[in-house]
Amino acid sequence: MALQEKYKELVDLARQYGATVSDEGNVLRVRGEVPSGALKDKMWEIYDRIDPNFKNNDLILDVNVKATEGGKVKVVTRESNLNIRKGPGTDQPIVGKAAHGDVITLISKANNQWWLVRDNDGEEGYCYSQYLEPVQ
Amino acid sequence: MKVFRLVSMLALILAVGVATTSCKKVKDADVQAAAQMALVANPDLADVSVAVLDQVATLSGTVKDDASKAYAETTVAAVENVKSVVNNIEVVPPAPDFTAIDAALNSGLADALKDHATVKAEVKDGVVTLTGEIRKRDLQKLMEKVNALNPQQVVNNITVK
Repeated sequence: MALQEKYKELVDLARQYGATVSDEGNVLRVRGEVPSGALKDKMWEIYDRIDPNFKNNDLILDVNVKATEGGKVKVVTRESNLNIRKGPGTDQPIVGKAAHGDVITLISKANNQWWLVRDNDGEEGYCYSQYLEPVQ
Repeated sequence: MKVFRLVSMLALILAVGVATTSCKKVKDADVQAAAQMALVANPDLADVSVAVLDQVATLSGTVKDDASKAYAETTVAAVENVKSVVNNIEVVPPAPDFTAIDAALNSGLADALKDHATVKAEVKDGVVTLTGEIRKRDLQKLMEKVNALNPQQVVNNITVK
């Protein structure tokens, strides 16, 4: 209960959008899909405000923007190009690159970390999902 | 004299009677050994000890679940000459096996840390401990990636520049 109090602002927001909040005693786990990247960023901003630099080791924040297969995703790297790989893993060969800010097509989700995409040149391969943000 | 003899006879009979009873008297040590033997037969009860005093068996030690605790009691209660059982066994659930979880985390971390060469991660029992250094602007992205791997906990010992 103490952790839910501590992160109340975040917990309330998460619940409002249907994310699950589980209190495991020493760790509070917030998971789910939120409708927009802005909302996800807002949650991380609240986390960083309550626990600057995420140093308290008492929260797992795992929220993703709801992504539809066949929908569009934006490349949200800091500035660099995003590698498109032959298979789901950084040990897989690079088959193409998507530029920072590009909007490409999500074909399917191989798993939580790796998504199969098609870039605007028609090249298909896997990208690390944390660098892709679904757009409406 | 007759009365005296009668009394002595009675006394003798009584004495023999008592002696016979005391020979037949149950030795706690024997009961205890038998009870311990019954427990040893079950590997789930390997950490259970039994002490017998006046034919009352007291169980102590640990088992992994309530069923084993109840089973230990039934087992000892069924041992000959055990009048009753005091069950002081503690139930301590075994630590979960994190081998598969840790392997999945390590494999996920290889991808997650690829773009953060100055950060190192260690995994133990589902807990990811991060060390090294990072620029503030990259910290959130790193934490997003690590939290998405579904660890039990993230211990962040990274120096933020």
